[in-house]
Amino acid sequence: MRKVALVGAGVSKFGVRKATYRDLVWEAGKACFDATPGVLPKDVEGLVVGSVMPERTAFQSHISSLAAEALGIRPSALSARTEHMCASGTVGIRYAYAFIAAGLADLVMVLGVEKLNQPSGDEAILNMGTGVDREWEAAFGLTAPPCFALAAQRHMAAYGTSEEQLALVGVKNHTHAAKNPNAHFTKGATLEQVLCSRMISTPLRLFMCSPITDGAAAVLLASEDRARALTDTPVWIRGTGQALDGFQLTSLHEDYAHWPAMRRAAQAAYAMAGVGPHEVDLAEVHDCFAIAELIAYEELGFCRKGEAGPFVAAGRSDYGGDVVVNPRGGLIGCGHPLGATGVAQAAEVFVQLRGEAGARQVTDASLGLTHNNSGMGEHVVMIYGREP
Amino acid sequence: MSYFRAIDPFPLESAEHTKLHEFYARLAGGRLATTRCGGCGATTWPPRGFCPECASDRFEWVDLPAEGTVHAFTVQDAGLPAGFDGPRVFAIVKVAGHRIFSILTGADPGAVRVGQRVALAPLRVADDPRGHPRWLPAFRVT
Repeated sequence: MRKVALVGAGVSKFGVRKATYRDLVWEAGKACFDATPGVLPKDVEGLVVGSVMPERTAFQSHISSLAAEALGIRPSALSARTEHMCASGTVGIRYAYAFIAAGLADLVMVLGVEKLNQPSGDEAILNMGTGVDREWEAAFGLTAPPCFALAAQRHMAAYGTSEEQLALVGVKNHTHAAKNPNAHFTKGATLEQVLCSRMISTPLRLFMCSPITDGAAAVLLASEDRARALTDTPVWIRGTGQALDGFQLTSLHEDYAHWPAMRRAAQAAYAMAGVGPHEVDLAEVHDCFAIAELIAYEELGFCRKGEAGPFVAAGRSDYGGDVVVNPRGGLIGCGHPLGATGVAQAAEVFVQLRGEAGARQVTDASLGLTHNNSGMGEHVVMIYGREP
Repeated sequence: MSYFRAIDPFPLESAEHTKLHEFYARLAGGRLATTRCGGCGATTWPPRGFCPECASDRFEWVDLPAEGTVHAFTVQDAGLPAGFDGPRVFAIVKVAGHRIFSILTGADPGAVRVGQRVALAPLRVADDPRGHPRWLPAFRVT
């Protein structure tokens, strides 16, 4: 297989946007091309678009062609959409990676985009029900919060994880997002604010949850020769892994505090990269809810099972700790425009490993990890390095 | 023309729309049924038309007990989809070794406990577009 690197990345403003689906494609595409000197739309051989529900939110399918036309890309090697609920963006990066590694393309853009907000808020939430099983789950009104609440209940009962420890994830990620001008929330949050915020689904409060967000992100992947010709500082894909436990809630591990598929995906990525969890400088993990970040510390190997609460409380997942988790502000601070999230995670690792992250810069960052999931049982992990 | 919206979150349950019609027919009569594989004999929840163990598509219907216990639960107060009211008690109910996802109807959200006994309480939802009644397998605290 050929080596593959990121050579450019760009992110739109995330938030409740006064913008159409196409506006968001333009913004992320523009930002990505601006960050990649020497590349014009006509040079890009392939486009993969990660997007979950434009049929519901923008009355639009056929979106890889829409995005190619909007950006002036004329795919000659690859044009596709990836839909894998919340992990659609990273699943798209894996497709582009595989095409380039196999020699079928040299320069491919992966763009994630979602326009989730609607004129009525409860309709936007109803749309999210399409991501769980209609017949056995969504028909009861299920969306993501109760699923992750079940995991939080179990983690608290089994390991003594406290509401304050859950809240500290919200504080950390809101605080990080305050240094990210593209984040949905940029005001930060105190422990008291998180603990006093509105109850969503017991025990998860509003500031422990990611919001309904519009946004887009794009990255450019290149083969080794093309990458070296374009930049002195490519960011190399070192490892990748994906694993699934199941789709329906009742198909997952009986103890919802255990997410074995994440552990398997991480182990595959670490093995491919030839590194271990303690070498990771920064991790963009899928904190759709605070409990997801805590369980990620454990399943990614940053701490032992059951020790995630003390791990965050001791600052070990923040600047100055073992590993900086979610320096861009995570899904809780940046928001979660489904298909855009995994691509925005990669974009953050790209600027961090090039030392271009400004106020958010992790000192001497040389190895970065992204983790993207679709529900508690489906996980994708990528490892990126400054060295190939 | 007014604001246009169209989505139906409920399954189409009648015989013309689903292989699993028998499940809903029994549910309307207060029975909780599932499938037993005609190939390897495995009983699964939820019912299915293809066996993941032996790849058979032959199945027969069997009734499960109409009672179970709360395995896990959460109460959602806010952020519910259009058309669904809170507080809503979502629960995993253990029935004869199977884990069943459902809601608890008529429960005091503050009084629900893991291990509590619950019973099947079929919940009638909106009729389908042809006027057929539709039911979901909800539970109530006994």
